[in-house]
Amino acid sequence: MKRYLVKRVLLALGILFSISLITFFILNIMPGDPVALMLGDTADPNTIETVRHNLGMDKPYLQQYLEWIAGAFTGDLGTSYFQRKAVAGLLASAFGYTARLAALSYLIALAVGLAVGIVSALNRGTLLDRGLMTLTVVGISAPSFWVAIILQIFIGLRFKAIPIEGLDSPISYLLPCISLGLRYAASIARITRTSMLEVMGQDFIRTARAKGLSPARTVLVHMFRNALVPIITVVGTDIGTLFAGSMLTESVFNIQGVGKLLVDNITKRDIPVVQGCVICVAVVCVAVYLIVDLLYAAVDPNIRLGGEQA
Amino acid sequence: MEKKSKLFRPLAAALALTLLLAGCGSGDGPDADASGSKAPAAPGESAAAGGDGRKVFRFGQAPYGDTLDMQVSTGSLSASIADEITESLLRFDDDNNEEPVLITDFPTVSEDGTVYSFELKQGVKFTNGTELTARDVKFTFERMFTPATGAKSFSYFSMIQGAKDMLDGKADQLSGFEIQDDYHFTITLEYPFAPFVKNLGTSYANIFPQDACTAAGADWGIDDNLIGTGPYKFQSNDPNTEAVLVKNEDYHGGEVKLDEIHVVYYSDTTTKLLAYENGDIDACDLLASQLGQYKDSYGDQITAYHPLGTCFLSLNLDVDALKDAKVRQAISLAIDREELVEYVLDGAGIPATTYLNPAIPGHDDSLPVYEYNVEKAKQLLAEAGYPDGLTIDGGKVRQQEETLATAVQGFLADAGIEYVFDVVDAATWSSDRTSGKLATTFITWNALYADADFQVYNYFYSANSGRQSVNYSNPAFDKLMDDARSDTDEAHRAELYKQADQILSHEDMACIPLYYPQSQFLAKPYVKDMKVGNLIYHLWNIDIDLEAQAAFNG
Repeated sequence: MKRYLVKRVLLALGILFSISLITFFILNIMPGDPVALMLGDTADPNTIETVRHNLGMDKPYLQQYLEWIAGAFTGDLGTSYFQRKAVAGLLASAFGYTARLAALSYLIALAVGLAVGIVSALNRGTLLDRGLMTLTVVGISAPSFWVAIILQIFIGLRFKAIPIEGLDSPISYLLPCISLGLRYAASIARITRTSMLEVMGQDFIRTARAKGLSPARTVLVHMFRNALVPIITVVGTDIGTLFAGSMLTESVFNIQGVGKLLVDNITKRDIPVVQGCVICVAVVCVAVYLIVDLLYAAVDPNIRLGGEQA
Repeated sequence: MEKKSKLFRPLAAALALTLLLAGCGSGDGPDADASGSKAPAAPGESAAAGGDGRKVFRFGQAPYGDTLDMQVSTGSLSASIADEITESLLRFDDDNNEEPVLITDFPTVSEDGTVYSFELKQGVKFTNGTELTARDVKFTFERMFTPATGAKSFSYFSMIQGAKDMLDGKADQLSGFEIQDDYHFTITLEYPFAPFVKNLGTSYANIFPQDACTAAGADWGIDDNLIGTGPYKFQSNDPNTEAVLVKNEDYHGGEVKLDEIHVVYYSDTTTKLLAYENGDIDACDLLASQLGQYKDSYGDQITAYHPLGTCFLSLNLDVDALKDAKVRQAISLAIDREELVEYVLDGAGIPATTYLNPAIPGHDDSLPVYEYNVEKAKQLLAEAGYPDGLTIDGGKVRQQEETLATAVQGFLADAGIEYVFDVVDAATWSSDRTSGKLATTFITWNALYADADFQVYNYFYSANSGRQSVNYSNPAFDKLMDDARSDTDEAHRAELYKQADQILSHEDMACIPLYYPQSQFLAKPYVKDMKVGNLIYHLWNIDIDLEAQAAFNG
C-alpha cells in the first residue's frame, strides 16, 4: 500500500508539471496580444514594445516558463497584466467561492441522485421509475448555463427572497447549486439505479431476505454497500469536471470564483491569471483522482493488488 | 417483492426530501436577506430603498478589469468610476460642452498658440484634506511622463515641451510646466495644438494629490486606492463585485445630491439586465442587440443617446482588390444603410451621410444618406476590371459586429462581391489590427470629445493609419489635418475638416461609413437627471426621487 501511495503521488506531480508546461506554451502561441488590447485604439508600436518589456513579455519563452515554475514553488504565481495584482491573491479569494459552490452542489446532487436511484431501482418498471428516469435524461442533457437562466427567470424574478446572482447569503446558493448540481444528480441517479438492480438479483440478497432481515437493513446495508464501487467511480470523475465546469454557472450568476476569473481573463489574454486558474483546477482534479484511487484500493483489494503488480 | 418495495417508497421519498431541504433549507432561517438585494450590507448601510431618507443610487456595469489610474487605464468603464472621485482641470458636461472645474476660467492662450496660462480655484481640497495647488498639477503631468509609471495617456499630452525628454529618461522635470505661485501656472507646447484644452478636459488628465499618490506608489488606482477632489470618495471597492462611493461633504462644487453610489459589476449582460428587472440595480446600459427584447416592456425606462462616433467598414488599402477607389465606391453603393439601421439595428442608429459624426464641427449637414444603387455598383466593378464580381477575403470581425458583418455580406453578394470574414476574439483582433495586416473589419470609432482631430487624425492621418490597418495616404488630406491642428480659429478649423472629410469619405472613399450609432441605458423612473453625452457614464448629476422610489417599490 505504501509503495502504491508513493507511486501515485509521484505520478500526480508529473501530471501537474506537464499541464503547466502545456498550458504555458499554448497560451503563448495563441493568437492575440494582451498589450495591443490593453493600449486600446491609439496603440503605436513603440508604446507596445515598452509595455511588453515592462511586463517581461519580451524574454524568451523558456526563461519565462522557468521563472514561473521557480516562483510557483514559493507560492508566487506572477502578477496580472491588467489588474496589476498578485495572481496567488486573486486565486485565493476566488477559490473559496468555487469550492463552496462545488461542494454544496455536489452534496445536494449526491443526496438527490442516490435517493432517486434507489427509489427507481426498488420500483423498477413502474410509472414512477419511468418518470424519474425520463427526468434524469432531461437533467443530463440540459446545459447548466441554460438551466441557470431558466431558474433566474422563473424562480429568481418571481420570488423576491431568492437572489438571482451573487453568493453572499445562504439562500443565494439555491439557484447556482441547482443549476450546477442537476446534471450530476441525474447521472448519479442513473448509475445508482443500474448498480442497485445488478446487486438485487444476487444470491446473498436472497439469503439476507430469507434469514429475515428487515427490508431497510437489506437495502441500505447489503444492497447499497455492494453497489457502491461503480458509484465511487462516477463521483471521482464528476468532482473533477464539476470544479472545472463551474465556469459557466459562475459567469451567469456573477460569482467571483475560479471559473469566472478564468473566463474574464482568457479573452484579455491575461496569461499569468489564466495560467494560475488552469493550475488551480488541475491541482484539484489531480488531488481528487488521487483520493478516489486510494479509496478504491481501500474498498476493493483487487485494485490494490493490480496496482502493485503493474 | 413488489409488495415489500412499496413499503420503502414513502421512506425513500421522505429521505430524498429531507436531504434536499437540509441542503438548501438554511436560507429559510432568520438570517436570510428578504430584500433580495445583492449588496453585502454593512452595518448602518442599506442598499435597497430603506426609507431612511438616504439617497443611494445603484448602477450596474461590466468590471473595468484594470485600474482606476486614468494615466494607465484607457477604458471608459474605469473612467466612469474614476471621474466621480478624481477631476481634471476642465470637464465635458452631458451635452459635450467643456466647462472649467478646478480652474477659475478657461486658460488664456498666447498669440502663437503655444503658451497656456491657468488660474486654479482657491480652497479646493482633496478628500484627504490637503489643498490643491499648482504643485499637484505639475506632479500629475510629470508622473504621466515618467517611464516607471507605465502610463498610456501620455500620447494626448506629448506636445507639452519637455515631455519627450522625460519619456526618454533624459529629464525628471517637465520643462514646459512653470509654476508662478500656488494658484497660477503656465504650460508651454512645442507646437500649436488646437485641441489641447479639450484633451485637458478628459479623464486622462485627472489631477492627483502629490503626497497621497506618491505614498501609494504602484498601488495607486488599485482597489479603493484613489483620492481626488471629486464629488464622491471611496468607501470600498472590490473590482470584481462592487464599489461603494460616498458623498464628499466638502465638495468645492456645492452640495452633492446622492449619499451613496454603488457600482455593481456584472460580467454577463444578461445577468445584469435580470438584476435590473429584479430591482437589484437602478440603472445600467442596454446594448443595441438587447434593445428589441426590452423595448416593449421597458420602453418608458429606456433613454437613447448618440455618442460621438461612426460605425464603418474599415478597409486596408494595401490589399490589392481594395486599392482601386472604384471598387470602394462600388462597396458603398451596394449597401442599403437605411435598411441596415431599421432591420439589423432595430432602429438604434442614424444612416451615415459622411464619416464625421453629425455632432462634431466640420460635419457637412447638407449631405444626403449614401446612395444605394446595386446596378451602379456592378457597373463600377466592371470599369475597375471585375465584370464577373470579385472576392474580398481576410476580413476579421469581433463577435459584437458579427450580425452587422453578415448583413453587409448579404448586401455585397447582390452586387457580385463575395465578402469573406472570420469572427475572432478581441485580443486576436487587436494584435492583427495593430500589425497593419488586417484586410477589413468593422469598427465604431468614437471621439473623446466633439472635435474632428480626434475622430479623423488618429485613424486616417498617413502616419497613424498603418497601425489601424488602413494604410491610407493622401498628401492633400494630410495637409488639411496639419493646418487644422495649428489653427486656433474654431470656425476656420471646422471648414478645414469639412474639406478633409469630403476627400476622405467621398472622393477617396477610404472607408465605408455605415451609421452613427445610438446607445441606450435603462433607468428606473425615480432616477432623475441621468444623462450620457458620449462614452462615459458620468454619475455626478444624478438624483433620486425618494417619494417616487418608495411608490415604485410599493
